[in-house]
Amino acid sequence: MEFKLEAHRIVSISLGKIYNSRVQRGGIKLHKNLLVSLVLRSARQVYLSDPCPGLYLAGPAGSPAAPPQQPGEPAAGPPAGWGEPPPPAACAAWPETEPQPERPADPAPPRVGAAEPAAPVTGAGDALRAGEVEEAEAAWRRVEGPREAAEGGAGVFAGAEGPRGARRHCGCPPGGEDRPGALGACPRVDCRCAPRPAEDEPPAPPAVGPRKRGAAGVGGGPAGGPAPGSSPLKKPRRNSEEQPGGAEEEEEMETGNVANLISIFGSSFSGLLRKSPGGGREEAEGEESGPEAAEPGQICCDKPVLRDINPWSTAIVAF
Amino acid sequence: MVTLRCQLGWAKGMPGSLTETDIGPSVVSPLDRVTPPSCKRQMMGPLSFITMNWGACPGHTMVLQPSERHNRDWSHGRLGPWCSPTGSPAPLSCETGCGEGSWILVCRLLVPTQVSLLSMEEDIDTRKINNSFLRDHSYATEADIISTVEFNHTGELLATGDKGGRVVIFQREQESKNQVHRRGEYNVYSTFQSHEPEFDYLKSLEIEEKINKIRWLPQQNAAYFLLSTNDKTVKLWKVSERDKRPEGYNLKDEEGRLRDPATITTLRVPVLRPMDLMVEATPRRVFANAHTYHINSISVNSDYETYMSADDLRINLWNFEITNQSFNIVDIKPANMEELTEVITAAEFHPHHCNTFVYSSSKGTIRLCDMRASALCDRHTKFFEEPEDPSNRSFFSEIISSISDVKFSHSGRYIMTRDYLTVKVWDLNMENRPIETYQVHDYLRSKLCSLYENDCIFDKFECVWNGSDSVIMTGSYNNFFRMFDRNTKRDVTLEASRENSKPRAILKPRKVCVGGKRRKDEISVDSLDFSKKILHTAWHPSENIIAVAATNNLYIFQDKVN
Repeated sequence: MEFKLEAHRIVSISLGKIYNSRVQRGGIKLHKNLLVSLVLRSARQVYLSDPCPGLYLAGPAGSPAAPPQQPGEPAAGPPAGWGEPPPPAACAAWPETEPQPERPADPAPPRVGAAEPAAPVTGAGDALRAGEVEEAEAAWRRVEGPREAAEGGAGVFAGAEGPRGARRHCGCPPGGEDRPGALGACPRVDCRCAPRPAEDEPPAPPAVGPRKRGAAGVGGGPAGGPAPGSSPLKKPRRNSEEQPGGAEEEEEMETGNVANLISIFGSSFSGLLRKSPGGGREEAEGEESGPEAAEPGQICCDKPVLRDINPWSTAIVAF
Repeated sequence: MVTLRCQLGWAKGMPGSLTETDIGPSVVSPLDRVTPPSCKRQMMGPLSFITMNWGACPGHTMVLQPSERHNRDWSHGRLGPWCSPTGSPAPLSCETGCGEGSWILVCRLLVPTQVSLLSMEEDIDTRKINNSFLRDHSYATEADIISTVEFNHTGELLATGDKGGRVVIFQREQESKNQVHRRGEYNVYSTFQSHEPEFDYLKSLEIEEKINKIRWLPQQNAAYFLLSTNDKTVKLWKVSERDKRPEGYNLKDEEGRLRDPATITTLRVPVLRPMDLMVEATPRRVFANAHTYHINSISVNSDYETYMSADDLRINLWNFEITNQSFNIVDIKPANMEELTEVITAAEFHPHHCNTFVYSSSKGTIRLCDMRASALCDRHTKFFEEPEDPSNRSFFSEIISSISDVKFSHSGRYIMTRDYLTVKVWDLNMENRPIETYQVHDYLRSKLCSLYENDCIFDKFECVWNGSDSVIMTGSYNNFFRMFDRNTKRDVTLEASRENSKPRAILKPRKVCVGGKRRKDEISVDSLDFSKKILHTAWHPSENIIAVAATNNLYIFQDKVN
């Protein structure tokens, strides 16, 4: 349990660092942020490789994937899993402020190092509800999902969707697994999460299928609609991919994690996203010039398909 | 004209009654450094503390005028008045409202000094003497923080770069017959602003002016050349002396104004007359716009015609004469940035083979490349990596295995790498593990999480060889630095601070207590000051003289062998 707490704390700290790196003089430092993202990934892995790994593969509904220390109850609203008040601001930030349905269990895939996002989201006292922690988590989730439907403008940390966001359709912890560029496709294509019990898909957590989000044109915030809609799609897919590919999957995810984070910064990474004007300009540090810089000061996307991801760009704005 | 580095700050007190202790906490608004208009080179002696008549309220530029009191015997230079808030150059006097509790401007000059002595031997016979050194200022501005230190190839010159983009060069005094017991001391030779803050409008980013690295070129004529770099631009500076000036121009009068040729009735031949020695630094080449990411190292090739600059993902090869193009010799940028897993952290050319260089990565690996193999050296010739010890795995394993510095030995046979907790020496002929590993501060291993929180875990320590490759040195926290003798396997921890060392006193070895009973004179891990870190050190190429940069102070230590 201490490991989980520790991991969680490290995740929060890491997110804080990533966030602060935006305002550092001299631009975002690629090396430091790469290291921070690696720590984030490790912490996430530890967090997920919880003492009860077996639970992760539990079937939908009621599987107490939540860490044992958290009482799991499918209560709506963020339970004070960690004994901390739910993030009030968080909800406000997101236009779509559906109450976060509790997810019975977070069948976070064992290999996924998703920090808490998935867990808490599932409610059930799982995961950090601590205001800022949650926001941090939210940020993490946002960060993770390359196509995270960032809520418009609001700081990621204020994302009320935090808990929600965490929940991907497939319940996979956001981030990593997403394969960038696969717009429209089930983002969880490589998600091996166990089927989520209640796919109650929380109203479109922005984190939800980034691509889908994009398609849904979730601009200023998570769109509740698509999420639920997409979840049914997700489910079958997820189920079919239940069995994690193991190491190979791990590899992809790991890289994806880092990459997603990298995309967040935008800077120095010939990002895959094209930011909408005004979004994330500050992260354009180190951006490749030339072909990749379609517009000065913006991160250009190698893959045009990502161009449509408005939510993502708004997420970047948060950073 | 030498520009002195000063720090100005406001302090409360009566002029003349100001003591050093007053300055600390009561200073409200430290100001930018200013250039005293009339200072001579080779001034100083130890740090001077000058009280000035006070000027306007904090926030204004000040009027400074040296007061009657000087702390030390500093008679060479005089700070003239300049820049008054009202525009008038008239100095303010003591009478104008200098009452108790009023504000005085205090100027502290950063003056390099002397040498101190140390020795690897712990014999009582060999004396370690520590001369006076720069005073540590409690409210040092960030621009003063020294960011690189480098001796030139003969050891006569020592260059330091700081976060404010300035380069200060020290020159060793010629040994005089009169003071046989004191070997040459280093005095300020030249100071110049190498880089200015820039703004990249295209990316809306500010480019820091901090000097990341300085590398000297071998001397080929009377002038000295060095390369200095910030995050994006490398500059070649020429530092030359001028001790004669021409007089007697026909078309210009003494003030430099042009004369009307019609008024010239006689002609004369200009003659060179001696003048006060002046050291000037001019930028001869600017190598810009070649790096997308932050430059972390530069290295001059042994052919003395080319050099390389390395950023996070690419290494470029330059010719000194050509500034508008460079060759890219290493590119580890993945096609898809999301697949980025490692970055380049340091690079250096082989000291003798102009075709060979190494670069280290954030994953703890070193690659040796041969430029003869192909134009793009993405495929390494040798790959040095030590398998990770699984028992030491933690969240931060990746961070602490990231190599922060790589240095070839002078012989060219070994390379030394520094990661967060250790220094390793590798034999170029053995790639699977280092031949020597030295723990610098292993007691920090249990504190990695706190160090991660306060960002100390990202500190990039450098390491240096001594001239004979028998001793290696690197820095640590609490102003400690460590030396490891490779032959005797002995190591010593020393501290660069003035509190614990009186001038000309012996440098006492320090010890960190790692638990259990703390002996007297030992310092416990928890009381280490992590804000005082020694990241940059340099060792004279042939003698036992070391330069240690402790935040904004430079300490020069010398071994005394009698």
